[in-house]
Amino acid sequence: MKKMNQTTMRRLISVGMLAVLVILFTILAGAGKGNFLHFDNLIEIVRDASIPAIIGVGVTFIIITAGIDLSTGSAMALVGMVMANIYEYTLWPFKVMVLCGILVGILCGLINGIIVAKLHVPEFIGTLATMSVYRALTYIIAIKDANGVIQSEPMTHSQYVWLGYGIGKFYYLIMVMLVVVVIGQIILRYTRYGTNLYSVGASKKAATLSGINVERVQMVAYIFTGFTVAIGAIFTTARLQSATTAIGTNFEFNPIAAAVVGGVALSGGSGDVIGTLIGALFMATLENGVRKLDMNTSYQYIIKGIIIIAVVIFDAVYKSRIDKAAKEQGAKEGLE
Amino acid sequence: MAGSTILEAKNIYKSFSGVPVLQDVHFEVKAGEVHALMGENGAGKSTLIKIITGVYSKDEGQIEWEGKPVEIRNYQDCQKLGVACIYQELSVIPPLTVAQNVFLGREPRIGPFINYAKMNKMTQELIDRYQFPLKPTTVVDNLGIGQRQLIEILKGLSQNSKLLIMDEPTASLSGKEAEMLFKIIQKLREQGVSIIYISHRLEEVYMLSDRLTILRDGKNAAVLEKEEIIPAKVIETMIGKVVDESAGSRKMLHSDDSAPVALDVKGLTDATDRFRNISFQVHKGEILGFGGLIGAGRTEVVRAIYGIDKAAAGEVTLDGKKLSPSPKASIRAGIGFVPEDRRNQGFIPLLSTTKNVALTNYDIVKKNGLAISDGDELDMSKRAIQAIDIRPSDPDKQVGVMSGGNQQKVVLGKWLMRDLKLLIVDEPTAGIDVGAKDEIYSILEKLASEGVAVIVVTSDLQELLRVSHRILVMRKGDIVREFKNEEVTQSKVLAAGQGVTEEEAK
Repeated sequence: MKKMNQTTMRRLISVGMLAVLVILFTILAGAGKGNFLHFDNLIEIVRDASIPAIIGVGVTFIIITAGIDLSTGSAMALVGMVMANIYEYTLWPFKVMVLCGILVGILCGLINGIIVAKLHVPEFIGTLATMSVYRALTYIIAIKDANGVIQSEPMTHSQYVWLGYGIGKFYYLIMVMLVVVVIGQIILRYTRYGTNLYSVGASKKAATLSGINVERVQMVAYIFTGFTVAIGAIFTTARLQSATTAIGTNFEFNPIAAAVVGGVALSGGSGDVIGTLIGALFMATLENGVRKLDMNTSYQYIIKGIIIIAVVIFDAVYKSRIDKAAKEQGAKEGLE
Repeated sequence: MAGSTILEAKNIYKSFSGVPVLQDVHFEVKAGEVHALMGENGAGKSTLIKIITGVYSKDEGQIEWEGKPVEIRNYQDCQKLGVACIYQELSVIPPLTVAQNVFLGREPRIGPFINYAKMNKMTQELIDRYQFPLKPTTVVDNLGIGQRQLIEILKGLSQNSKLLIMDEPTASLSGKEAEMLFKIIQKLREQGVSIIYISHRLEEVYMLSDRLTILRDGKNAAVLEKEEIIPAKVIETMIGKVVDESAGSRKMLHSDDSAPVALDVKGLTDATDRFRNISFQVHKGEILGFGGLIGAGRTEVVRAIYGIDKAAAGEVTLDGKKLSPSPKASIRAGIGFVPEDRRNQGFIPLLSTTKNVALTNYDIVKKNGLAISDGDELDMSKRAIQAIDIRPSDPDKQVGVMSGGNQQKVVLGKWLMRDLKLLIVDEPTAGIDVGAKDEIYSILEKLASEGVAVIVVTSDLQELLRVSHRILVMRKGDIVREFKNEEVTQSKVLAAGQGVTEEEAK
């Protein structure tokens, strides 16, 4: 009998959880127009899941290397605010503004990468610090009125507003999300860099012995995450048609939660981007269903918290089982 | 079978902070031979290998590869020559497949994408050539330790390695896995791959090797051809005939059976089969030595007695009372434990002598209400410092910055503050200078004279003979020999630990 590995088992669990949630809300919140299972609502769920999923692709790379990024929410706000400043004070074309936004996102990732990979600051504390710094920078460059009161900057550039729509119900955001997920999955599964990510996460020492440049692998993961953060920021501001200092507050939890629920072990070395997408869909479905049921929205955070703890316990238990099973298997096996 | 010389190390000298570790060592490996390297702990085996693999630099001497002098500055240099080292601590990546591991960092590609078909095919070819029981697409997660080791070997072979270095490869393998490895080693030899095989286990060396180099005290003791590899001769060469005649390497054991039994162990059996059905007693005032090879299960037995690891079966009684298996219960019952890994398990490096001594004794330190009495804590540490002459004598000194000998005294000191019935020490003087060793021996002897039962686990044969009143030798998880009221020599203990009968040893 072929044994299931952790990735397969976690995929089944995350798909199962999503299915259970969909069935549950269908029963409780109905299938008609305006109800849970209506097409418009389902598209809405996918749209809500898109930004956590896009940034989740980058965060998945980082978590596979056994790292973490807590600064994504703040970096998103900073990217948005830089673009708002360009919109307010320059006559630069739309494309240049977006390009600058992407560069700022990459720069945020680069700084995280230097702090973690080159300066060897623990990932958690390093990105916790930049989370604070990026948010503060957002406030500093925020557009203020004559009395120094921070204004929310309306961004009503026609091309910009256009980004918030799509072809019919098929939003551009969803298309971009699918492209990023597919590219992310291809990188993970079919390139040397993808293999290197898993190696670094499973054992930095073994990766080094195999000639892998661990620092560079980590660095690229943070820079790539910065890029996904910029995409997230562009679509968020386009949807809101404004940039505020509050964008992305407490957001960093979402991509991490999506990845963890989708089977990316926080200890590193396992999981993939498809899993993270499933995780993001799970979170968005949960939010949507709780809203449809007119429940106090605070309940969803309790449920999210419990589920994350449960999957992390599963990973830990599974990991200790693996070692034991490997030993037992070894004891049984001979040459034939 | 064996051909020309592939690797030759000539006149190798190496010393660490003035202490010579290797002196004028010669070592030669021929193409297609399994060359075993043996020697007691500290004989210089690891140092020699680390010089060959570029981890250490040699002080003097020359290394030749296929007849040409080479400089090996790091592991990459050594890989380029065609030498692969199979580490004891495996470096495979569990979430990847066998093929991904073998070609990690060197994956064949089409454009930016890994050519999995080609990689799996190349891996399969290697597997077929050496007949490894592996499949290229299996995820390593699902494999046993032995198979993981084979992946490392395969990785070396995929880089066209001509020489594999295996350091205690069977240390963490089960019997069947070891058999599998031995068959693979035979096949590699048939294919012309040379192997340096480092092992403590004479039977493996006897079975596998074409030649054997023995080091003793950092010098060449002998190079034996296959037909010369006879257990008695090997043991004699490892210990040194002359040494065996001298004082300190033989001893008349005396133990007093009339003293009441302190510790009684009955049928202690490990959950993961690292030791089985262990039964023995220790009397009050007796020092019981545990001899045997590293990995024989001695540390595991004493850990189980102290209650760190829970045994699957068996009973431990102290002074007639049954012990529940937990360190806390053991401490309360009067057992002290000095672990093998002093730095990580024996003490807290960042804390002072006072805090380290108090750590296991907070149940007997006076309290002012809820707060610990600083005065009493300090008093206790001063008593410990005075009792066994810990230096520096400053009770506030961080233990992490002290010498190894004084660190060990702090570890011992905290137990002396208690009403001790049994003290277990595991490798008590590893990495400690000679003067401090003697002090530690006299502490153990003093405790015994006060009626404390003492268990000493040690791989240092001289130490074992020096301190023990009675000796038990373990081998592969069983107690195989008891030395009691008789004359014992280092060779006898070593032979018992190796599973060589005494007739063979003579």
